Amino acid sequence: MRFAANGFYVESYDKCCNCGVLLYRRDAAIERDKGGLVCGKWCLQWAENGAQDVAASSGAADRASYRGKTDVVDLKILDGNLASICRDMGVTVMRTAYSPIFSESLDFTCGLFDASGAMIAVGDFCPSMIGGMPLIVQAIVDEYPVETLEEGDVIVHNDPYRGGMHTPEHTFLKPIFRQGALVGFAGAIGHIGEIGGMVPGSFFAEATEAFSEGLRIPPVRIKRAGQDCPDVWKMMLANVRTPRANYGDYRALIAAVDLGERRLLELVERYGASGFAGAAADLLDYSEARMRAEIADIPDGRYAFEDMMEDDGVEARALPIRTAVHVGGNEAVVDFNGTAPQARGPMNTPLSVPQAAAFNAFLQITDFTIPKNAGCFRPIRVLVPPGCLLNVEFPAPSVGGNTECHPRIVYTVLGALAQAVPDRVPAADGGTWSNFLFGGTDPRTGEYYTSYDLHTVGWGGRNGADGNDAVSSMNGNCRTIPVEVYETRYPWLVEDWSLVPDSGGAGEFRGGLGMQKTILCRADEVVVSHVGDRQQVAPWGLNGGGVAALAATRFKLAGSEDWNDARETYGKVSPSKFANVVVRAGDRVHIAMPGGGGWGDPARRPPETVVDDVLDGYLSREAAQSAYGVAVPVPEKPGSA
Amino acid sequence: MSLHLGIDTGGTFTDFMLYDEEQRSLKAWKVLSTPGDPTAAVITGLQQVADPGQISSVRLGTTVATNALLERRGARVAYLATRGFRDVPFIQRGNRRSHYDLSWVKPKPFCLRRHAFEVTERVDHTGAVIVPLDVKAVRRLARHLAETGEVEAVAVNLLFSFLRPDHELAIRDIFAEEAPDLPVSLSYEIDPRWKEDQRAMTTLADAYVKPLVGQQVRSFRARVVEAGVTGRIALMKSNGSEMSTEAAEAQPVNLAVSGPTGGVTAAKHLAAVKSIDNLVTLDIGGTSTDVSVVVEGRERFTDDYELEFGIPLRVPMIDIRTIGAGGGSIAWIDKVGGLHVGPESAGANPGPACYGFGGTRPTVTDANLVLGRIDPQSFLGGKMTLDAAAARAAIETVAAPHGWSVEQAALAILRIMNNNMVGALRAVLIEQGFDPRQFTLMTFGGAGSLHVCDLMHEANIPLGIVPNHPGQFSAYGFTMADARSDRRRSTLLSSRDFDLARANAVLADLSREVLEDLHKQGHDSGIELRRSMQMRYLGQNYELEVPLTVDRFTAEGMEAIWRDFHDRFEERYRFHLPDEPIEMVDMGCTAIAHMPKPELPRLPVAAGPAEPDATRMVTFEEGCLPTPVFKRHALAAGHGFDGPALVEEDVSVTVVRPGFRLEVDVYGNLVISAGKTANKGA
Repeated sequence: MRFAANGFYVESYDKCCNCGVLLYRRDAAIERDKGGLVCGKWCLQWAENGAQDVAASSGAADRASYRGKTDVVDLKILDGNLASICRDMGVTVMRTAYSPIFSESLDFTCGLFDASGAMIAVGDFCPSMIGGMPLIVQAIVDEYPVETLEEGDVIVHNDPYRGGMHTPEHTFLKPIFRQGALVGFAGAIGHIGEIGGMVPGSFFAEATEAFSEGLRIPPVRIKRAGQDCPDVWKMMLANVRTPRANYGDYRALIAAVDLGERRLLELVERYGASGFAGAAADLLDYSEARMRAEIADIPDGRYAFEDMMEDDGVEARALPIRTAVHVGGNEAVVDFNGTAPQARGPMNTPLSVPQAAAFNAFLQITDFTIPKNAGCFRPIRVLVPPGCLLNVEFPAPSVGGNTECHPRIVYTVLGALAQAVPDRVPAADGGTWSNFLFGGTDPRTGEYYTSYDLHTVGWGGRNGADGNDAVSSMNGNCRTIPVEVYETRYPWLVEDWSLVPDSGGAGEFRGGLGMQKTILCRADEVVVSHVGDRQQVAPWGLNGGGVAALAATRFKLAGSEDWNDARETYGKVSPSKFANVVVRAGDRVHIAMPGGGGWGDPARRPPETVVDDVLDGYLSREAAQSAYGVAVPVPEKPGSA
Repeated sequence: MSLHLGIDTGGTFTDFMLYDEEQRSLKAWKVLSTPGDPTAAVITGLQQVADPGQISSVRLGTTVATNALLERRGARVAYLATRGFRDVPFIQRGNRRSHYDLSWVKPKPFCLRRHAFEVTERVDHTGAVIVPLDVKAVRRLARHLAETGEVEAVAVNLLFSFLRPDHELAIRDIFAEEAPDLPVSLSYEIDPRWKEDQRAMTTLADAYVKPLVGQQVRSFRARVVEAGVTGRIALMKSNGSEMSTEAAEAQPVNLAVSGPTGGVTAAKHLAAVKSIDNLVTLDIGGTSTDVSVVVEGRERFTDDYELEFGIPLRVPMIDIRTIGAGGGSIAWIDKVGGLHVGPESAGANPGPACYGFGGTRPTVTDANLVLGRIDPQSFLGGKMTLDAAAARAAIETVAAPHGWSVEQAALAILRIMNNNMVGALRAVLIEQGFDPRQFTLMTFGGAGSLHVCDLMHEANIPLGIVPNHPGQFSAYGFTMADARSDRRRSTLLSSRDFDLARANAVLADLSREVLEDLHKQGHDSGIELRRSMQMRYLGQNYELEVPLTVDRFTAEGMEAIWRDFHDRFEERYRFHLPDEPIEMVDMGCTAIAHMPKPELPRLPVAAGPAEPDATRMVTFEEGCLPTPVFKRHALAAGHGFDGPALVEEDVSVTVVRPGFRLEVDVYGNLVISAGKTANKGA
């Protein structure tokens, strides 16, 4: 990355042409003979020779066992203590934040980092951020050398071109000093509900440039030596629609890093600074060894899979995501070469998203007791060519990619791994959120409000169990907002909130059902945007299981009898990605979510289970007949009010 | 009529504690529980009371509701919801138990989807009826359910019923006419607060256990009366108070988390007697550990509870956190040699390896045994002999890969176990903004006193107490339980335009309701009324409880209330937002009929130093040391000694580490302090 001579802006974002990582220090990069830069020898070799024997290339066979100085009991205790600090930081955010996206949907996480910026522990909150935080913090550390930091500083950052995941995700990082020496960092990252830009809620589904996706903040100090930096606060709060709520959210995130600082210092006190640094380094090695031992149990091979995003909100054109997972010995390389080039619309992602998603996929099929830190990610290399859908170049847009591409990437990697470990991988989940954003002026207070609704999907069937109904996609672990809270806060009447019958793919173990809702507008007007997917390309089944039903978002205008999608109603390009639609009093919106794919041959599903599904309304009689060949007679007396 | 009997039903034993008001004496005993008939042990145990006619109160803590919920052995329930919303308990909130567990199966609610029905009606967020109730359809449904016998109970949960309960009440009346044999649980009566998903689960749970609890409670009552008891017969509630058997039948969900409350009640009483302000209690059992706090002499309450992930039960309860770690927690080694303890537990069957029931995997109890802390001959007062060889063999499986001795491995297991416990303990304290150094640790239950010094050391807690009768401490708490009624209602109000009239109307309603509830159970005088509000900054999602010191709101008084909130927020989170509007979410009222507290019997004063019963080799972090073993019953007031030492009694062993000191107070409690120079506890 090259700054202008004045140091105030970036002139070029240089990346490794093999793995796609941002090159902060040009002098550390290697210039290839054919042109282009790579980040190091491993990438040079891979770039020159193409895919090769992963295990041989790494020379890491001996790192699959733990040989650190800290004994395993002390490691366990250190990890427990670090995890509890992260958890307490997270509870502070949850209880004091203003955006429901934090407090109800838990779209945040908190982590602790060593003095080099390597993540040593992370709270069990939002999964997409767990894998994404390492790169974000690395960018901040690269930009703020130790000597520029002071005790009491807090840095804020949301720049997707410097490690960030998309503009709403704000990271607050506090360096921690003991007796004048840096011992580590406390970080909190969260999705701020509204950050300006073209649309309320900042999810501009028709964006073609980052400048319409809200305020972009490079790493800057929001507090300096313990004092607020009023210039930065004023700048940030002047550029958003809901400054009161944003102020509360920023304070909540700062309270969390303050708590992390206090608690980490107490812990460091017990070890001494060098003792702590040594133990933390051993903890990373231990996690690395655990992950290597898991990967060693996955059969070696190259496993490829592909799926797609159906469009980007600007052009009606599908965007394939292709992956080849190379497993060799105790290492894995997840290569996204062949994925669609960068899109015009905002479905692109920065590199932190495919990285986080690839890590997420591996964590799904390995021992969940492995401590989550930078160590366990070391044996997994993620290669994403710069300028493709999953490694966006400045200033192309990216706000939708983090929420919508992440689950698709996870399941694309899992789909590849299903060839290696078939019993551990379910059929695809619904894999979308149908992010529904709206805003307007509250007639009671005259204040601007915005909201961000999420919706839940069916899980895919798996070996031994049907998919779960109505659960978050894999990149979040979000709770939906209760209807009574929703109606109290926002001008909608919810008319229906139910499971979508027949939405699960058929199978010996069928897919779970998605949820649906119908809402009626009770305000004069509400401005609505939407970012979703899976309305044209269905979630896949596995081992002979069927695909799931599609998602849908439709409108019925006041006085009309017909339900139509955004293309038909508002002339939009995409039914799933559109912005700034004005919904008026009496209009209705219906959002239906996809189920999960089926697992195994539907003919193997016991007929009595199919009958139960019909009696419980998960399956219609027609679907029981067509998908399973089971006839379920209509009872004489329907048991319904 | 001077006797008070507390009975705590457990899976293995039923514990009894008898307090004689005249003699000022306590008597504790245990009876083996009979699987499938919890009342049988009660009747057997009652035979220990010479004259049941002298019993003035029997208070029973029962797990019948809890077990029915956990084991899914309840009734077939019909769920009635507002049209469009029958799936609320099936959809739940969309989050999953773990980020990284693709084998997880989402829990089902307490009804089949085929029994979830929708009724035409709708109330909006202002309490206005926007669709009237279709009375005819409800009548048809009630008749249909009565005729087919498809279901055994009914749960009703309509949107915004906490603002306008009319439709739920009408449905109850219709069912009373058309299906009089079906018990009906209304969400408005059980939990009149917003967030329909939590109300749904709580109401469903109530209906689910109602037929079974009703049957058991009636049988219990009849058999206790038959055994000659003429005094008051009551059951323990999740909020630590007692309630009449009729009240329990009417709202059985209140029984659900009552089991561990007795220990907290007893701990609170002991803290008051000993003038201790802040206490953290730890009850370590075989598979789980309960942690609770008493702050400034009062237990803490909550209604944020999940029976299991995804199944919230929103009933008032003592805030007791349960973690899945106990004596049966299994130690295991991962692929690279890391040592872990739990979350898997050997439970009671096969149990720890040393039980000799076929368990081969090492547990915390096995570790305590091989270190010499538990005597294999005197476990459960000698009722059970432990297999020390089996324990060693089991521990060897985690020792060998590291080249550790069995003792080293056992110490490692205990360190990890203690650290897990301290994590839970600190989480409870720090999450609520407390400093562990200002707390005293009280341990009870079978295994707590084995770990008391280790936990004090790890958590930085200066003082520990092992009370008398640690094995029957919960039953003891029941003998002194108050009658208490809590009621909360969601009432959204803001500091911007505070509606005094509405606030006062709700407050008056709530006071009337709690007083009526106690009145129905025979409590009319000497009742304390407490009022509180759940408040937050407008826009936040979690509240802080602010006690209300006045009995009605006045325009002049509001400023002090808002200021109180700002102060409490600052104290809790170390920042506050002085100019931000404040929102009031729930209002609550609690009525308490205080019961007389037992006067603790005093021990004779020691005439000379305590004499150990034996000395045996016990392994500590400091090494394997000759350790005097004292029998608790032989200790007298004023006895004191330094660690290493053990104090044995029937159900537990207190381990005093080197560097710690134990003193026996005038009531016989074991008071442990860190450091030999600590002040004498009294």
